[in-house]
Amino acid sequence: MPDRSQPVVQSVGLCKTFRDFWRRPRVEAVKDLNFEIRPGEVFGLLGPNGSGKTTTIKMLLGLLYPTRGRISVFAKAPTDVSVKSRIGFLPEESYLYRFLVARETLDYFGRLFRLPARVRRERTERLLDMVGLRHEAKRPVGEYSKGMARRIGLAQALINDPEFLILDEPTAGLDPIGSKQIKDVIRALGRKGKTILLSSHVLADVEDVCDRVTILYGGQERATGEVHELLRQGDVTQMVAPSLSERTIEQVREVIRNCEHKDLLEVTNPRVRLEEFFLRIVDEAQAANIRTYGARRGGDLPDFLQAEATTEQVVDSLVAAAGPKPDVLRDRAAAIAPAPRPEAEPSREVIEELVGERPERRDEAARPAARPAEPIPVKPQRTRVPIARDEAVIEALLHNDARRGSEGDDMTDDPNKPDAES
Amino acid sequence: MKVALVFLVLIGAIVIGLPFSIEGDASLTGAVQSFLSYAFTATGFLLGLLTIFMSRSLSDDLVNRQLFLIVTKPVARWQFLAGKWMGITGLNVMFLCAAGVTAYGMVHYIMRTHPPLDDRFDKQELTNEVLVARHARPLRRPDFSRDIDAEFERNREEGLYDAVPDFDPQAEKARLANKYSARWRVVGPGEGRIFYFEQVLVDRNRQPYIQLRYMADVSNYAPDEIFRATWIFGDRARGTPERRADVRHMVGRYHIVRVAADVVAPDGTLKVTFLNRNPFADEPDFRNVIDFKPSEPVEVLFIVGSFEGNLVRLLILMMCKLMFLAALAILAASIFSFPVACLCALTVYVFAGAQQFLLDSLDFLSDDYATMFSSAQEFFAQLLIFLFQAVCFVVPDFSRYDAVESLVSGRNVGLVWVLQAVFELALLKTFIVLGLAMLLFQRREVAEVSV
Repeated sequence: MPDRSQPVVQSVGLCKTFRDFWRRPRVEAVKDLNFEIRPGEVFGLLGPNGSGKTTTIKMLLGLLYPTRGRISVFAKAPTDVSVKSRIGFLPEESYLYRFLVARETLDYFGRLFRLPARVRRERTERLLDMVGLRHEAKRPVGEYSKGMARRIGLAQALINDPEFLILDEPTAGLDPIGSKQIKDVIRALGRKGKTILLSSHVLADVEDVCDRVTILYGGQERATGEVHELLRQGDVTQMVAPSLSERTIEQVREVIRNCEHKDLLEVTNPRVRLEEFFLRIVDEAQAANIRTYGARRGGDLPDFLQAEATTEQVVDSLVAAAGPKPDVLRDRAAAIAPAPRPEAEPSREVIEELVGERPERRDEAARPAARPAEPIPVKPQRTRVPIARDEAVIEALLHNDARRGSEGDDMTDDPNKPDAES
Repeated sequence: MKVALVFLVLIGAIVIGLPFSIEGDASLTGAVQSFLSYAFTATGFLLGLLTIFMSRSLSDDLVNRQLFLIVTKPVARWQFLAGKWMGITGLNVMFLCAAGVTAYGMVHYIMRTHPPLDDRFDKQELTNEVLVARHARPLRRPDFSRDIDAEFERNREEGLYDAVPDFDPQAEKARLANKYSARWRVVGPGEGRIFYFEQVLVDRNRQPYIQLRYMADVSNYAPDEIFRATWIFGDRARGTPERRADVRHMVGRYHIVRVAADVVAPDGTLKVTFLNRNPFADEPDFRNVIDFKPSEPVEVLFIVGSFEGNLVRLLILMMCKLMFLAALAILAASIFSFPVACLCALTVYVFAGAQQFLLDSLDFLSDDYATMFSSAQEFFAQLLIFLFQAVCFVVPDFSRYDAVESLVSGRNVGLVWVLQAVFELALLKTFIVLGLAMLLFQRREVAEVSV
């Protein structure tokens, strides 16, 4: 079990100076940088061009050596080979072998991790599904678009189910669908307890997924902290309500004036985020089965990237309505669930969880057309929602699943069925 | 890589195309010898170049940054370099095997198609002198040191050296040794000379005959340039039969006299007597002094192996050189960019091939030359010589492991020779070079930025 008391990454007085051919110092890329990345958090590394982000990441990976100071990964030197088996790295550019096809690429990197052949094959197929490149798996990587190359790059970074994932500009070159998927993957991995270092110029993406960030400038740390703390505007209060009449608004304004002796700053209709609107349009196009030659929408996070099974995950996989045979699920649930409480009623929290937390699926293309505009979503909290372990619910879902199976639903992967569940 | 394909096509064209374009001396033996010589020399040279160019895969991984994704995996950098070296070596094994098999096939093709097709003598000569593996034993030179010392002392007592300026006793003794040696190897008209050969370890069950190979020079050229003499093999005193061979041989060319192997004594000693007199009564007699020069030694040849075994040992020797070259190319590519690495590796390759030539040709590398300078210049000259000798120590002398000539002349490529090459080239020097490469690569910042 990994030691969760130690920071995953610790940098103390880290400095890097680049020299010219005559060994004269020319560029001080990183100056006295101190930071640490805690286990299980999504950490953002931000800064303008030339601020030292990529240099820091390269020192983290042993591609560069510090001029002064110290950096450690899992309490060991970055050059320690044993550490590398716990790390996944997605570089800024695609540094894959252009003549290998996608399957060969993932198999090659799987071999470097000494994964058994069967495991390599399984993970390769699941990762290709996840990144939406199964249909392009036989094309050389050199023929891929930039976005497709990023996707396969992400897949190779996950082939070893890393504890620590380093993503350098992961959404660069990706369309909004791909960006959303990457962010979903990051969030899902974060929930599973993975530690993630994210370096990106796309601040919206960082804001969406990161727990803590550090901002670099000139090789030095300028700000570090939790995202919600750094961005919180303490001097403004925002309230969201359903559509109000003018009279009601005026009354609210009056209340504020009388109680707080302040004026209401702004009353507007909030806007849907462009990302959401875009995704809705694409969903409609996919529902209409319009043909595309590019990357498809990816699938679920493969099960090997999930941490050790919990009841929550069993429930998740039941909701996803795909995966192993019902008797395996039943056995898994029986193995991990505590002794049944015959008097317990179905927990409201579980039902809400089942209804609310639906992972991205391709069959969502079959949903009804345009959703009404929604208010700006609040970023979900990182803390886990406790789920009551209720055997009655699990059993009910298992029975439903078994009934569906007996009715002839296709439970196996079928690449010819675009809507097949992964 | 396309470069590898180009080299493969060239090698294939040479090995397969040569039999159709060369003739040698128009004999079957000459044709086969020419083919073997050109084919394997060209193959060795081209594969050496290809080995150096294949280091590009390491350079490309560095330049295109595929290495970023490899060194961030649980693969040690020394494993990465070792893998590159093994890959290049594996390819070389395949190419050499293909070249060897093809050359072997083409030899048999030449044998079947070279005109005249019914020349049994030509084929027999080829079988006995090329498509075999023969071991050569030189004749035993008598020890003249007592005679030399005696004459030297006599001359000194007679005061012959007193008036000689800068008299060097060692040089005088060397002159006397040359004189006695010359007297011994020169056979006057009507005279005879006995030669002994030792360690002629012929396997009589395997090979019923031995060969005497020699070249003779004469003092008086006959009109037909042929000298007539008699060779007598064997020693009755040691219990071997005596066999006689009357010869008519051209002056200034190598000749082979075959004789039954039973003339060799059980302890491996062979007594050979040369009689400088015309054994053919009805032919004109041109009285000549016959000289067996030390630069063209008289030797006894006996078969110790097959052509196929010789070919395999030749390929092993070539492989040892290629293994060293691969390590050298990896070392250069792990430090420098591809063009610079190529240049460095090619320079060492040329130096390795021409090392002996340079040592023999460049006077300034001798110690005597260094003493001609004043003390400051002498210091630098000595330093230069020291550096050159150090380089010669590290860089192997490829000419010492060139067995093509042996294969072509049907000489045995000895197992000891092969083992020496395996130890020195393939093991010791290759791993020194690879170890250095691993050490330097370990310290290299693969993401280094040039500013």
